[in-house]
Amino acid sequence: MRDLKAVGKKFMHVLYPRKSNALLRDWDLWGPLILCVTLALMLQKSSVDGEKDGGPQFAEVFVVVWFGAVTITLNSKLLGGNISFFQSLCVLGYCILPLTVAMLICRLVLLAGQGPINFMIRLFVVAVMFAWSVIASTAFLADSQPPNRKALAVYPVFLFYFVISWMILTFTP
Amino acid sequence: MLAQKHALDSNDDTEDVSLFDAEEETTNRPRKSKIRHPVASFFHLFFRVSAVVVYLLCELLSSSFIACMVTIILLLSCDFWAVKNVTGRLMVGLRWWNHIDEDGKSHWVFESRKATPQDSKTISEAESRIFWLGLIACPILWVIFAFSALFSFRVKWLAVVIMGVVLQGANLYGYIRCKVGSKKNLTTMATSYLGKQFLRQSAPDGWTLPMRLLIQQMWAWCYG
Repeated sequence: MRDLKAVGKKFMHVLYPRKSNALLRDWDLWGPLILCVTLALMLQKSSVDGEKDGGPQFAEVFVVVWFGAVTITLNSKLLGGNISFFQSLCVLGYCILPLTVAMLICRLVLLAGQGPINFMIRLFVVAVMFAWSVIASTAFLADSQPPNRKALAVYPVFLFYFVISWMILTFTP
Repeated sequence: MLAQKHALDSNDDTEDVSLFDAEEETTNRPRKSKIRHPVASFFHLFFRVSAVVVYLLCELLSSSFIACMVTIILLLSCDFWAVKNVTGRLMVGLRWWNHIDEDGKSHWVFESRKATPQDSKTISEAESRIFWLGLIACPILWVIFAFSALFSFRVKWLAVVIMGVVLQGANLYGYIRCKVGSKKNLTTMATSYLGKQFLRQSAPDGWTLPMRLLIQQMWAWCYG
Protein backbone atom coordinates (compact mmCIF):
# COMPACT_ATOMS: atom_id res chain seq x y z
CA MET A 1 0.00 0.00 0.00
CA ARG A 2 1.11 3.47 -0.79
CA ASP A 3 1.29 4.71 2.78
CA LEU A 4 3.16 1.68 4.07
CA LYS A 5 5.72 1.99 1.28
CA ALA A 6 6.22 5.67 2.10
CA VAL A 7 6.81 4.86 5.76
CA GLY A 8 9.27 2.09 4.86
CA LYS A 9 11.16 4.38 2.49
CA LYS A 10 11.55 6.96 5.23
CA PHE A 11 12.93 4.35 7.63
CA MET A 12 15.58 3.45 5.05
CA HIS A 13 16.44 7.13 4.65
CA VAL A 14 17.05 7.41 8.37
CA LEU A 15 19.27 4.35 8.44
CA TYR A 16 21.38 5.61 5.54
CA PRO A 17 21.16 9.40 5.73
CA ARG A 18 21.74 10.98 2.38
CA LYS A 19 21.14 14.49 1.25
CA SER A 20 17.71 13.86 -0.18
CA ASN A 21 14.43 15.57 0.40
CA ALA A 22 12.19 12.55 0.68
CA LEU A 23 11.74 12.90 4.44
CA LEU A 24 10.95 16.55 4.19
CA ARG A 25 8.66 16.74 1.19
CA ASP A 26 6.06 14.08 2.00
CA TRP A 27 5.77 14.09 5.74
CA ASP A 28 3.68 11.64 7.67
CA LEU A 29 3.46 10.91 11.35
CA TRP A 30 2.79 7.17 11.20
CA GLY A 31 6.46 6.24 11.64
CA PRO A 32 6.91 8.40 14.74
CA LEU A 33 3.73 6.96 16.22
CA ILE A 34 4.86 3.36 15.67
CA LEU A 35 8.32 4.10 17.07
CA CYS A 36 6.90 5.91 20.07
CA VAL A 37 4.52 3.08 20.94
CA THR A 38 7.28 0.47 20.47
CA LEU A 39 9.71 2.40 22.65
CA ALA A 40 7.07 2.95 25.34
CA LEU A 41 6.17 -0.74 25.35
CA MET A 42 9.80 -1.80 25.67
CA LEU A 43 10.48 0.66 28.49
CA GLN A 44 7.99 -1.03 30.79
CA LYS A 45 9.14 -2.27 34.12
CA SER A 46 7.79 -5.72 34.69
CA SER A 47 5.79 -5.68 37.92
CA VAL A 48 4.71 -8.58 40.07
CA ASP A 49 1.00 -7.90 40.08
CA GLY A 50 -1.00 -6.66 37.14
CA GLU A 51 -2.71 -3.88 39.09
CA LYS A 52 0.02 -1.30 39.26
CA ASP A 53 1.54 -1.98 35.88
CA GLY A 54 3.55 0.59 33.99
CA GLY A 55 0.85 3.08 33.22
CA PRO A 56 2.76 6.18 34.19
CA GLN A 57 5.95 5.10 32.40
CA PHE A 58 4.05 4.50 29.17
CA ALA A 59 2.45 7.94 29.25
CA GLU A 60 5.78 9.44 30.34
CA VAL A 61 7.57 8.23 27.20
CA PHE A 62 4.76 9.56 25.05
CA VAL A 63 4.82 12.95 26.73
CA VAL A 64 8.61 13.24 26.55
CA VAL A 65 8.78 12.35 22.88
CA TRP A 66 5.89 14.43 21.59
CA PHE A 67 6.30 17.41 23.87
CA GLY A 68 10.04 17.45 23.22
CA ALA A 69 9.54 17.30 19.46
CA VAL A 70 6.99 20.13 19.58
CA THR A 71 9.36 22.25 21.67
CA ILE A 72 12.26 21.73 19.27
CA THR A 73 10.02 22.61 16.34
CA LEU A 74 8.85 25.80 18.01
CA ASN A 75 12.44 26.68 18.81
CA SER A 76 13.59 26.25 15.24
CA LYS A 77 10.64 28.20 13.89
CA LEU A 78 11.28 31.05 16.31
CA LEU A 79 14.90 31.14 15.18
CA GLY A 80 13.66 31.82 11.68
CA GLY A 81 13.84 28.44 10.03
CA ASN A 82 11.70 27.82 6.97
CA ILE A 83 10.57 24.32 7.75
CA SER A 84 6.95 23.61 8.44
CA PHE A 85 5.67 22.34 11.77
CA PHE A 86 4.74 18.84 10.68
CA GLN A 87 7.87 18.34 8.58
CA SER A 88 10.02 18.97 11.62
CA LEU A 89 7.93 16.64 13.77
CA CYS A 90 8.22 14.00 11.06
CA VAL A 91 12.03 14.21 10.89
CA LEU A 92 12.50 14.17 14.65
CA GLY A 93 10.14 11.25 15.06
CA TYR A 94 11.69 9.13 12.35
CA CYS A 95 15.21 9.72 13.70
CA ILE A 96 14.21 7.95 16.92
CA LEU A 97 14.62 4.70 14.95
CA PRO A 98 18.32 4.12 15.87
CA LEU A 99 17.49 4.59 19.55
CA THR A 100 14.64 2.10 19.29
CA VAL A 101 17.09 -0.40 17.84
CA ALA A 102 19.43 0.38 20.74
CA MET A 103 16.58 -0.33 23.16
CA LEU A 104 15.99 -3.69 21.53
CA ILE A 105 19.67 -4.60 21.80
CA CYS A 106 19.78 -3.43 25.43
CA ARG A 107 16.85 -5.61 26.35
CA LEU A 108 18.47 -8.61 24.73
CA VAL A 109 21.78 -7.90 26.48
CA LEU A 110 20.00 -7.52 29.83
CA LEU A 111 18.61 -11.04 29.50
CA ALA A 112 22.12 -12.25 30.24
CA GLY A 113 22.08 -10.68 33.68
CA GLN A 114 23.51 -7.41 34.96
CA GLY A 115 27.10 -6.45 35.67
CA PRO A 116 29.81 -3.98 34.70
CA ILE A 117 30.63 -5.66 31.35
CA ASN A 118 26.93 -5.67 30.56
CA PHE A 119 26.77 -1.99 31.34
CA MET A 120 29.78 -1.17 29.15
CA ILE A 121 28.23 -2.96 26.19
CA ARG A 122 24.95 -1.14 26.65
CA LEU A 123 26.72 2.19 27.06
CA PHE A 124 28.64 1.66 23.84
CA VAL A 125 25.55 0.64 21.86
CA VAL A 126 23.45 3.51 23.17
CA ALA A 127 26.24 6.03 22.52
CA VAL A 128 26.66 4.86 18.91
CA MET A 129 22.92 4.96 18.23
CA PHE A 130 22.61 8.36 19.90
CA ALA A 131 25.31 9.76 17.60
CA TRP A 132 23.54 8.19 14.62
CA SER A 133 20.20 9.79 15.56
CA VAL A 134 21.73 13.22 16.05
CA ILE A 135 23.68 13.05 12.77
CA ALA A 136 20.63 11.82 10.82
CA SER A 137 18.32 14.51 12.14
CA THR A 138 20.79 17.36 11.77
CA ALA A 139 21.45 16.27 8.20
CA PHE A 140 17.83 17.02 7.49
CA LEU A 141 17.13 19.90 9.81
CA ALA A 142 20.27 22.02 9.59
CA ASP A 143 19.64 23.02 5.99
CA SER A 144 16.51 24.88 6.86
CA GLN A 145 18.27 27.31 9.19
CA PRO A 146 20.25 30.44 8.34
CA PRO A 147 23.98 29.69 8.61
CA ASN A 148 24.75 31.62 11.78
CA ARG A 149 21.93 29.94 13.69
CA LYS A 150 22.65 26.33 12.93
CA ALA A 151 24.17 25.52 16.32
CA LEU A 152 21.33 27.22 18.17
CA ALA A 153 18.80 25.09 16.32
CA VAL A 154 20.75 21.86 16.67
CA TYR A 155 21.54 21.78 20.38
CA PRO A 156 17.91 21.11 21.49
CA VAL A 157 17.93 18.08 19.20
CA PHE A 158 21.05 16.94 21.01
CA LEU A 159 19.30 17.34 24.39
CA PHE A 160 16.16 15.58 23.17
CA TYR A 161 17.96 12.47 22.01
CA PHE A 162 20.17 12.60 25.10
CA VAL A 163 17.14 12.39 27.38
CA ILE A 164 15.76 9.43 25.43
CA SER A 165 19.17 7.71 25.47
CA TRP A 166 19.34 8.27 29.22
CA MET A 167 15.93 6.64 29.68
CA ILE A 168 17.14 3.68 27.64
CA LEU A 169 20.48 3.34 29.40
CA THR A 170 19.05 3.53 32.92
CA PHE A 171 16.33 1.01 32.22
CA THR A 172 16.39 -2.02 34.47
CA PRO A 173 13.66 -4.64 34.16
CA MET B 1 -3.89 21.40 -8.36
CA LEU B 2 -4.92 24.95 -9.34
CA ALA B 3 -7.47 23.62 -11.80
CA GLN B 4 -9.02 21.52 -9.08
CA LYS B 5 -9.11 24.49 -6.71
CA HIS B 6 -10.94 26.51 -9.32
CA ALA B 7 -13.37 23.67 -9.71
CA LEU B 8 -14.07 23.98 -6.01
CA ASP B 9 -14.66 27.72 -6.30
CA SER B 10 -16.98 27.47 -9.30
CA ASN B 11 -18.72 24.63 -7.53
CA ASP B 12 -19.55 27.00 -4.71
CA ASP B 13 -20.88 29.63 -7.05
CA THR B 14 -23.14 27.52 -9.19
CA GLU B 15 -24.35 24.94 -6.72
CA ASP B 16 -27.59 25.85 -5.14
CA VAL B 17 -27.10 24.22 -1.78
CA SER B 18 -27.77 26.85 0.80
CA LEU B 19 -26.64 26.11 4.30
CA PHE B 20 -28.80 28.82 5.80
CA ASP B 21 -32.28 27.77 4.77
CA ALA B 22 -32.93 24.47 6.37
CA GLU B 23 -36.66 24.64 5.84
CA GLU B 24 -36.82 24.57 2.06
CA GLU B 25 -35.56 21.84 -0.22
CA THR B 26 -33.17 23.71 -2.45
CA THR B 27 -31.51 20.87 -4.24
CA ASN B 28 -32.59 19.41 -7.52
CA ARG B 29 -30.17 16.50 -7.63
CA PRO B 30 -31.71 13.01 -7.64
CA ARG B 31 -31.44 11.66 -4.10
CA LYS B 32 -30.70 8.06 -3.31
CA SER B 33 -31.36 6.65 0.08
CA LYS B 34 -29.67 3.31 -0.31
CA ILE B 35 -26.17 2.68 0.93
CA ARG B 36 -23.74 2.28 -1.91
CA HIS B 37 -20.62 1.48 0.08
CA PRO B 38 -21.67 -0.75 2.98
CA VAL B 39 -18.12 -1.75 3.88
CA ALA B 40 -16.92 1.84 4.05
CA SER B 41 -19.95 2.88 6.11
CA PHE B 42 -19.41 0.01 8.50
CA PHE B 43 -15.75 0.75 9.04
CA HIS B 44 -16.37 4.48 9.35
CA LEU B 45 -18.49 3.83 12.40
CA PHE B 46 -16.75 0.68 13.66
CA PHE B 47 -13.36 2.16 14.54
CA ARG B 48 -14.78 5.27 16.20
CA VAL B 49 -17.42 3.52 18.23
CA SER B 50 -15.13 0.68 19.32
CA ALA B 51 -12.47 3.17 20.49
CA VAL B 52 -15.11 4.86 22.66
CA VAL B 53 -16.44 1.51 23.91
CA VAL B 54 -12.97 0.22 24.81
CA TYR B 55 -12.24 3.45 26.67
CA LEU B 56 -15.45 3.19 28.68
CA LEU B 57 -15.17 -0.52 29.43
CA CYS B 58 -11.41 -0.70 29.97
CA GLU B 59 -11.65 -1.55 33.62
CA LEU B 60 -14.00 -4.42 32.96
CA LEU B 61 -12.32 -5.82 29.87
CA SER B 62 -8.76 -6.22 31.08
CA SER B 63 -6.73 -5.37 34.15
CA SER B 64 -3.81 -4.15 32.07
CA PHE B 65 -3.78 -0.42 31.47
CA ILE B 66 -1.14 -0.80 28.78
CA ALA B 67 -3.17 -3.20 26.67
CA CYS B 68 -6.20 -0.90 26.76
CA MET B 69 -4.12 2.14 25.91
CA VAL B 70 -2.37 0.46 22.97
CA THR B 71 -5.70 -0.88 21.68
CA ILE B 72 -7.31 2.55 21.83
CA ILE B 73 -4.30 4.13 20.11
CA LEU B 74 -4.43 1.53 17.35
CA LEU B 75 -8.17 2.01 16.86
CA LEU B 76 -7.83 5.79 16.77
CA SER B 77 -5.04 5.57 14.19
CA CYS B 78 -6.97 3.16 11.98
CA ASP B 79 -10.02 5.38 12.27
CA PHE B 80 -8.06 8.49 11.31
CA TRP B 81 -6.53 6.81 8.27
CA ALA B 82 -9.81 5.25 7.16
CA VAL B 83 -11.89 8.41 7.51
CA LYS B 84 -9.33 10.68 5.93
CA ASN B 85 -8.34 8.50 2.98
CA VAL B 86 -11.27 6.23 2.24
CA THR B 87 -14.67 6.94 3.72
CA GLY B 88 -14.75 10.69 3.13
CA ARG B 89 -13.94 10.21 -0.53
CA LEU B 90 -16.39 7.36 -1.05
CA MET B 91 -19.33 8.47 1.05
CA VAL B 92 -19.54 12.23 0.58
CA GLY B 93 -17.01 13.01 -2.14
CA LEU B 94 -14.76 15.26 -0.05
CA ARG B 95 -11.05 15.09 0.55
CA TRP B 96 -8.29 17.19 2.11
CA TRP B 97 -4.54 16.96 2.35
CA ASN B 98 -1.33 18.87 2.81
CA HIS B 99 0.94 19.74 -0.06
CA ILE B 100 4.46 21.09 0.19
CA ASP B 101 5.69 22.95 -2.85
CA GLU B 102 9.20 23.61 -4.12
CA ASP B 103 9.90 26.47 -1.73
CA GLY B 104 9.10 24.38 1.30
CA LYS B 105 5.85 26.18 2.01
CA SER B 106 2.98 24.00 3.03
CA HIS B 107 -0.50 24.37 1.59
CA TRP B 108 -3.65 22.72 2.87
CA VAL B 109 -5.91 21.64 0.04
CA PHE B 110 -9.62 21.02 0.54
CA GLU B 111 -11.67 19.57 -2.31
CA SER B 112 -15.19 18.51 -2.95
CA ARG B 113 -16.38 16.47 -5.87
CA LYS B 114 -18.48 18.28 -8.44
CA ALA B 115 -22.03 17.01 -8.80
CA THR B 116 -22.54 15.54 -12.25
CA PRO B 117 -25.89 14.54 -13.73
CA GLN B 118 -24.76 10.91 -13.95
CA ASP B 119 -26.35 8.55 -11.48
CA SER B 120 -23.18 6.95 -10.24
CA LYS B 121 -21.70 10.16 -8.89
CA THR B 122 -24.53 11.42 -6.72
CA ILE B 123 -24.15 11.30 -3.00
CA SER B 124 -26.53 9.00 -1.24
CA GLU B 125 -28.56 10.55 1.51
CA ALA B 126 -28.24 7.69 3.98
CA GLU B 127 -24.47 7.53 3.59
CA SER B 128 -24.15 11.27 4.02
CA ARG B 129 -26.20 11.10 7.19
CA ILE B 130 -24.13 8.25 8.61
CA PHE B 131 -20.91 10.03 7.72
CA TRP B 132 -21.73 13.35 9.32
CA LEU B 133 -23.32 11.87 12.41
CA GLY B 134 -20.27 9.69 13.05
CA LEU B 135 -17.92 12.54 12.29
CA ILE B 136 -19.56 15.06 14.60
CA ALA B 137 -20.65 12.91 17.53
CA CYS B 138 -17.36 11.23 18.36
CA PRO B 139 -15.10 14.27 18.86
CA ILE B 140 -17.77 15.71 21.15
CA LEU B 141 -17.65 12.50 23.17
CA TRP B 142 -13.86 12.65 23.40
CA VAL B 143 -13.98 16.25 24.61
CA ILE B 144 -16.44 15.19 27.30
CA PHE B 145 -14.06 12.37 28.28
CA ALA B 146 -11.19 14.86 28.44
CA PHE B 147 -13.05 17.03 30.92
CA SER B 148 -14.13 14.05 32.98
CA ALA B 149 -10.58 12.68 33.11
CA LEU B 150 -9.28 16.09 34.14
CA PHE B 151 -11.83 16.67 36.87
CA SER B 152 -11.82 13.18 38.30
CA PHE B 153 -8.00 13.21 38.38
CA ARG B 154 -7.56 10.11 36.22
CA VAL B 155 -4.63 11.86 34.66
CA LYS B 156 -2.96 8.78 33.19
CA TRP B 157 -5.79 8.50 30.69
CA LEU B 158 -5.30 12.09 29.55
CA ALA B 159 -2.66 11.17 26.98
CA VAL B 160 -5.02 8.82 25.16
CA VAL B 161 -8.01 11.15 25.43
CA ILE B 162 -6.07 14.11 24.10
CA MET B 163 -4.89 11.98 21.21
CA GLY B 164 -8.50 11.05 20.50
CA VAL B 165 -9.59 14.68 20.56
CA VAL B 166 -6.75 15.77 18.28
CA LEU B 167 -7.13 13.00 15.67
CA GLN B 168 -10.89 13.08 15.41
CA GLY B 169 -11.02 16.85 15.70
CA ALA B 170 -8.55 17.14 12.83
CA ASN B 171 -10.77 15.03 10.58
CA LEU B 172 -13.84 16.98 11.60
CA TYR B 173 -12.14 20.31 10.91
CA GLY B 174 -10.77 19.12 7.57
CA TYR B 175 -14.13 17.91 6.30
CA ILE B 176 -15.99 20.97 7.48
CA ARG B 177 -13.47 23.10 5.61
CA CYS B 178 -14.06 20.94 2.52
CA LYS B 179 -17.80 21.31 2.86
CA VAL B 180 -17.79 25.03 3.43
CA GLY B 181 -15.31 25.77 0.68
CA SER B 182 -12.06 27.63 0.71
CA LYS B 183 -13.46 31.09 0.11
CA LYS B 184 -15.84 31.48 2.99
CA ASN B 185 -14.43 32.19 6.38
CA LEU B 186 -15.84 29.82 8.99
CA THR B 187 -16.29 32.37 11.73
CA THR B 188 -17.99 35.00 9.60
CA MET B 189 -20.29 32.36 8.21
CA ALA B 190 -21.21 31.09 11.66
CA THR B 191 -21.86 34.54 13.05
CA SER B 192 -23.91 35.67 10.07
CA TYR B 193 -25.96 32.48 10.25
CA LEU B 194 -26.67 32.87 13.94
CA GLY B 195 -27.42 36.54 13.46
CA LYS B 196 -29.98 35.77 10.76
CA GLN B 197 -31.63 33.12 12.89
CA PHE B 198 -31.90 35.35 15.94
CA LEU B 199 -33.45 38.12 13.91
CA ARG B 200 -35.91 35.74 12.33
CA GLN B 201 -37.17 34.19 15.53
CA SER B 202 -39.74 36.49 17.06
CA ALA B 203 -39.98 34.83 20.47
CA PRO B 204 -36.74 33.12 21.44
CA ASP B 205 -37.43 30.43 23.99
CA GLY B 206 -34.34 30.38 26.09
CA TRP B 207 -31.76 27.62 25.92
CA THR B 208 -33.66 25.41 23.47
CA LEU B 209 -33.08 27.89 20.68
CA PRO B 210 -29.35 27.25 20.22
CA MET B 211 -29.97 23.51 20.39
CA ARG B 212 -32.62 23.72 17.69
CA LEU B 213 -30.33 25.83 15.55
CA LEU B 214 -27.52 23.34 15.94
CA ILE B 215 -29.73 20.40 15.01
CA GLN B 216 -31.16 22.29 12.04
CA GLN B 217 -27.64 23.05 10.85
CA MET B 218 -26.59 19.43 11.20
CA TRP B 219 -29.54 18.16 9.17
CA ALA B 220 -28.87 20.84 6.57
CA TRP B 221 -25.34 19.56 6.22
CA CYS B 222 -26.57 15.99 5.98
CA TYR B 223 -28.98 16.83 3.21
CA GLY B 224 -26.60 19.26 1.54
